[in-house]
Amino acid sequence: MNPLLPFLMAGDPSLEALPQLLADAKALGLEAVELGLPHSDPIADGPVLQAAAHRAIARGATPVRVLEALAGITDSPDLILFTYLNPLLQIGASRLKDLLAPTPVKALLVVDLPFGEEAVFEAELRAAGYPMVPLLAPTTTLERARQILSERPDAGASAPFAQRFAYIVARLGVTGVGSGTDLAPVWERVLDLQALTARPLAVGFGLADAASLAVVRSMGATPVVGSALVQALANGRGLVEVLSRGLG
Amino acid sequence: MTDSFALPTRFGPQQLGGCYAPETLMQPLLDLEAAFCAAWADPAFLIELKAELRHFVGRPTPLTPAPRLAAKVGLKALFLKREDLTHTGAHKINNALAQALLARRMGKTEIIAETGAGQHGVATAAACARLGLTCTVYMGVTDMARQAPNVARMRLFGTKVEPVAAGQGTLKEAVNEALRAWAGRCDRAHYILGSALGPHPFPTMVRTFQTVIGEEARAQVLEQSGGLPEIVLACAGGGSNGLGLLLPFLDDDLRRIAVEAGGHGKALGEHAARLDGGRMGVLHGCKTLLLQDEHGHTAETASISAGLDYPALGPELAALALDGRVEVRRASDDEALEGARLLCETEGILPALESSHALAALPALAREGAATVLLGLSGRGDKDLSTYQSRLGI
Repeated sequence: MNPLLPFLMAGDPSLEALPQLLADAKALGLEAVELGLPHSDPIADGPVLQAAAHRAIARGATPVRVLEALAGITDSPDLILFTYLNPLLQIGASRLKDLLAPTPVKALLVVDLPFGEEAVFEAELRAAGYPMVPLLAPTTTLERARQILSERPDAGASAPFAQRFAYIVARLGVTGVGSGTDLAPVWERVLDLQALTARPLAVGFGLADAASLAVVRSMGATPVVGSALVQALANGRGLVEVLSRGLG
Repeated sequence: MTDSFALPTRFGPQQLGGCYAPETLMQPLLDLEAAFCAAWADPAFLIELKAELRHFVGRPTPLTPAPRLAAKVGLKALFLKREDLTHTGAHKINNALAQALLARRMGKTEIIAETGAGQHGVATAAACARLGLTCTVYMGVTDMARQAPNVARMRLFGTKVEPVAAGQGTLKEAVNEALRAWAGRCDRAHYILGSALGPHPFPTMVRTFQTVIGEEARAQVLEQSGGLPEIVLACAGGGSNGLGLLLPFLDDDLRRIAVEAGGHGKALGEHAARLDGGRMGVLHGCKTLLLQDEHGHTAETASISAGLDYPALGPELAALALDGRVEVRRASDDEALEGARLLCETEGILPALESSHALAALPALAREGAATVLLGLSGRGDKDLSTYQSRLGI
């Protein structure tokens, strides 16, 4: 089981720092990293990731520049590009595939793209090796979860974690550092889904402390740590220090 | 539980609209559509809504002939559909009240809303006070400053007004924050979106609740003048007022015109004219014409009118515009101010800055040969007095 899925915001603290951050993540043995593509209107993000996105945009981290900065990087975990739909739509599927080809990006997590809304776009990217990560929220019924997992199918046991996992949203609301997110319902959800699919599961939104990460691991799922990490990096702490000690 | 939408989610050959929502909101949106369809088919709901619209909102609103303004701009006849005379002073109450009734029917106890000019916020606050629902309205700090009377009105109605300081502090940021708040409280709260925007079913639901404007106006103009006008004209921010007035005239042989905010210039960031300046994009849950930069980031907008100061045109109105069934024009800040001044002086009616954009189109339409116009006066201008005072030097 993959023990941790960290989230980084591309361009925060800077695009120049990104290759080293990714190399550090690789050196820590991380299999995959979610990389946020900064957007002007991140409707599913809390204050920490909103601020990080706006800092990154102000420093010139446009979608194309981020993808160009990733070109040729090999010393990196697999990347899951975490973003909103509009910047990708404006680039277009064909150019997007070309931009992604020389990067370590293996999958896309588009927060405001439910299955079926851009079926052609999604199918074209999946065929090129960039599947959309299925997201399952606390409001997602088990019936709908089944539908989502079949619309965004398992890439197969030989595919990397980044292309296989389903993302379980731990709580209602937006991304952010949680204060005592109740993990009991999440546990139940994980058990339900484990009965439904052999895919790896990741749990995110509101996890910040070592204890909640350990609880998620004990469910047999991978904890996602985003806002807490982004905030620590913005405060000048190093990735290795934060991940190896601060977040257990 | 419902697992797919029953109503069409897309508009026109370009397939605008859709439901580009975070997964957390998908089931709430599916449930909302189901509740809306059930309510709209339930005579008890329709009777209750009609009674509230009559006894609380003050419907039907009058259709007022405006002969002195008509003569002044060179028209033969002009009729004003007086949404400014509704309770709370704008068309927004038609939708806010209907959605509040729907929320109560769904067993929701809390209401979340966004507001730009504050008219939707005030309408929602009033409806919530009347129905005993807790209400929180998100409003940009820039809009709170320029529409201060409406902030006070909302607070008097017991609504919590949450300032949104991000970005330009206008409607777009308020919608961002309202969507985030709804994702956090969707188990108990209903989000009353104020325009024909957002993810399905909002665009369809909002315009359905607003077409009462055009239905009344069509019957009234037939009764008063014995025929239909050559032009039906409304301002358009997101499009709830525009669609509400224009849709019931869609099959008639006449010109339907929506007027967008031309702001103070033609460059991106200086206006909110989406038909000329926008490209297809996705914002706040729907695909439509969107003011954006080359990176797909939402562009800044500018308008003297907080209610029109929004980067996206509602998807159904955008589809009708692209299809040529609705003409879209723009009026600048200065033209809108002049339109307001003309109406005040000739008819003794103080229009909202939003409605003034429609008034601003009249002289040009008369010069083009139009003789009869029906204009949607979407709201009253009390909230805009300080802007009128400073910009018109009175």
